[in-house]
Parts: sequence; structure tokens; C-alpha cells
Amino acid sequence: MAHIWPIGGGKGGSGKSFITSSLGRLSAGLGRRTLVIDLDLGAANLHTLVGIPYPSKSFSDFLLKKVDRLDDTIVETPFENLFLISGAQDHFDIANLPYEQKIKTLRAIMKLDYDCILLDLGAGTSFNTIDFFLISQNGIFITTPEPTSIENVYRLIRSVYFRRIRYCFSVSQFKALEEEAIEQFGEGAFNKPECMMKVIERDHPEPYRDLQNDFNAFRFRLIINQMHKRDNAALGAHVCRIIEKHMGLQIDFTGNVSYDERVHDAICQQVSFLDRYPYTKTAGELRAVGRQIFQPAGRQLMLQYV
Amino acid sequence: MRKSFAELNYYEMLDIRPGAAAFEIRQAYGAALQIYQPGSLVSHSFFTETERREILSLIEKAYQTLIQDQTRKAYDDELMSRGEIDRPAQAGPDARKPVGIFSISRGRGQQPAGSNQESLKTRIRQSERIAELTGRHALSGEDLKQIRTELDVTLEQISQATKIRQDHLINIEENRLARLPAAIFLKGFVKSYLKYLCLEPVEELSARYMETVASLAQHETAQEQE
Repeated sequence: MAHIWPIGGGKGGSGKSFITSSLGRLSAGLGRRTLVIDLDLGAANLHTLVGIPYPSKSFSDFLLKKVDRLDDTIVETPFENLFLISGAQDHFDIANLPYEQKIKTLRAIMKLDYDCILLDLGAGTSFNTIDFFLISQNGIFITTPEPTSIENVYRLIRSVYFRRIRYCFSVSQFKALEEEAIEQFGEGAFNKPECMMKVIERDHPEPYRDLQNDFNAFRFRLIINQMHKRDNAALGAHVCRIIEKHMGLQIDFTGNVSYDERVHDAICQQVSFLDRYPYTKTAGELRAVGRQIFQPAGRQLMLQYV
Repeated sequence: MRKSFAELNYYEMLDIRPGAAAFEIRQAYGAALQIYQPGSLVSHSFFTETERREILSLIEKAYQTLIQDQTRKAYDDELMSRGEIDRPAQAGPDARKPVGIFSISRGRGQQPAGSNQESLKTRIRQSERIAELTGRHALSGEDLKQIRTELDVTLEQISQATKIRQDHLINIEENRLARLPAAIFLKGFVKSYLKYLCLEPVEELSARYMETVASLAQHETAQEQE
């Protein structure tokens, strides 16, 4: 089965699409068949970043049943091993994806036969974004070192956490849990997943165990993008520490990616940043992040037995 | 579910191990302030204002408790009685400290440890065998070995104390003439050996040993010529 990496970040403009396209390039460069899917529905532009300004097919062909299988919407990119499902020329209603279509899409994505699939998610914390995020246990969060972006990424992480809890209960049960949490932990507790988990632990031990197993299996990662020179380089590590300490959710800090004017230039010229400016600091950091992410955990283990 | 922040002990709050030194505590406190201070980017929007105030007061308390030896000790005892942290392991042998400039022994030669020296001397006095060996005119390597075994001293002990390599000592004891070091070194080695065993008089015994070795060597070359 393919390794799926949803990439989200809460705030718009934090570089989700740019990082997705760069990671896609790096993964393809390792010789793996890599697919990037633009799930920023209604505001898609991943196709421009991977060098196909006018893709011939798009994701909505699948939703509108012009084609039967999601496979048929895949287009090749100019780069070897890199494929794209574009969101270009979607119909204008697509941002409000109905539930059935979302489930259909999720199932179809799971069935795709690629070595590595990267999902470029939209900003915000709509159910669509979060459900696509929860398709895999290996999500990547992207944020910039600014309060606005940090605020949104915390919001997204909490939402993901909540959504996962929500799966386990019916509407009325969930409502009861919320009230219980407020009663126990005071006003504001209903949007703190950690308080909710405590209530669940006491009242519903069975789902609690499943949830806890699930949260332990999550291997979320954090990338800090657009790091300026004067920013605190330890920010990422601190963010992960605070999340682990106060929310009980383990997130690995993968790395910083420096801000670079030339990223803007490369996007304007519609060329790949990694090709155009391979020796910049930013490109080096992107490659380091790529190595960290695509380094299969299995290989490290095997080395011990060789 | 893990513990909430207020339920953590002070060490866990500051992310340090229970045995941390004062400078580590200070550093951890600084790092914690960076994270939880109002206006910090890391915890922006993560807490409400009251939560932040509570956490900061907890951290302050943790720091004030741990940074002072007295309060820290009392707190450690409390944690130990609750079984949250282990008792500190019994301190091992004292770490090596620099030697005081006036306490370096400038005495000549290698001396065995004091008590050891006394017991060797009494044993030499009591043993007839040693008296007999040292009384003879010739003193060969084998005689030395016999004395040594009589005194219950191992080659390792001598080698350690005198810093003479063991193979040299073995060659001396086995009378392997061809492998002995140059005469000047040999004499020094044998003196150290005798001193370690507290055999007196060192000068005379070593001179006798050298003579014995010389005559043995002559004897051997004469045999070869024949």
C-alpha cells in the first residue's frame, strides 16, 4: 500500500503547496513513483508549481463521473516518476464537497497504487480538510514562525484530535461528553481535547483504549517554513514539547526551512525552485527535510540485522 | 491519559532529571520561561490567560524550590517517600581530584604500601629459606623467584608498583640471559625489585646478582665456543 502524507497547516500562505511540490520532487528523485494530489478544493494551484499550467484532466472529472476511476484523472508531470491529480478547472461548487463524495474520494485514494502519495490540503479546519488529514497516521503540519500561523496550526491540531474522538461517538453521546467536560473542567473545556479524553477515560473505557492506541500510532510531523534570520530556531522543538506536555500528542519536529526571496522568483517564473536554485540554504534545508521524511523507518531497523 | 501539568512533579515541569545540577535547573527555567511567558510565540493562543498565570506560578515555585539546596532536599525526600523518584544511588568511589602541590611524594624509588612493607619485613626475618638464599654468595634469577614466592607476592604486583614490564621480570626470574636488557637497566630493575620486596641491603644484593649473571653469561659463551 502507498505511503500517504497529508500536508496541512491551518493558515493560508504558509507554504503548504510549495512544500508539497518540493517534497514530491524529492521523493520522485529517489526513484519512487510519487503522486501529488491537490485537495485544496476550490483554491487549487499545485499544478502550476509542478510545471503543468493547464492540466488536461482534473479531480472534478472523477466527482462528476466523467471518468470512472480516480486513476484516470492522473496526469504526468515533466519530472520523471512524479504524477499529479490536479484541482484546476474544478466546478465552482467543489469546495463544499458532500459527505458521500468525500468518502468516495477517500476510498479511491486508498486504492491508488503509488509508492508515495502527498496530499496538499487547504487552509482552515473544515471537515473536508480534517478528514483528508486523518486518512493516514503520518500527517505533516506546516507553520510559519508568526503568531497568526502558530495559532492556526494549534487550532488545526486540536481539530484533528477532536475529529478523531468524534468518530467514536454518536452525536448525542458527544454532546453529553462536552457537557460533562465543561462541568468538570470549567468553561472553555469543550475545546480542549485533553479534558475530553479524561472524561472519556472515566466513562467509556473501551473507546478510550482504541483512541489511545490510535493517538500513540500517529506519527505527525511539524515543519517550520519561512524561517527568517532573526527568528528563534528552537521554535519547532518548543512547539512539539508544549503539544506533548499539554495535549499528550506526540509530534516530531522535522526541520526549519528558511525564507528565501528566490522562492517567489521561481514561482513567478514557473520553474522548480530546487532546479533553479539548488545551492541555496533553503534548497539544502528542503532536501534535509525530505531525507528525514522519506527515510523509511524499516531500513534503519534492518541495518542492525545485516 | 497523561497527567495534567499541575500534577507533574517539579522535575517533570522543568524537563530535567532528578539529579540535575544547579546550572541545568537554571537553564531549564530559562527555557520554560521562553515557552510560557506572555507574548511568547510558542504558546501563542495555546492557553487562556488564567491558565498561563497558573502555569507560570507553578514554574516559578518549582524553580525556587529546586534551586535552593535545603528546600530541594526536603522536596526530594517527599518525592522519595511517595516513590516518584528513586533514591540517589550510593555515591561510588570518590572522583579523582587534582593532587595538592605539596602532597606529591618526592621520596626516592617505589615503596610498597606501609602495612604491606612491615609484614614483608617480619616475614623475611622469620623465614629461614630466605635467610639461606640471601646468605649465599651467588644470587640468580631463580633465587629471586623463590624469595618472591616465599613472600607471597605476585609478578603483577611488582610490575604495577615498579612500572617494569612483566616480560622483563619474567626474563630476570627465568635467567633468560639472551633476553635480558642492557646491564645498566638490568641493575636498576633488580634494585626496584629488591626494594619492593624489602630485601636489605639492596646495593649489596643487586651487586651480587649482577656478578652471578655475568659469570653465567661467561660460562655460556665458553660453552658455545667449545
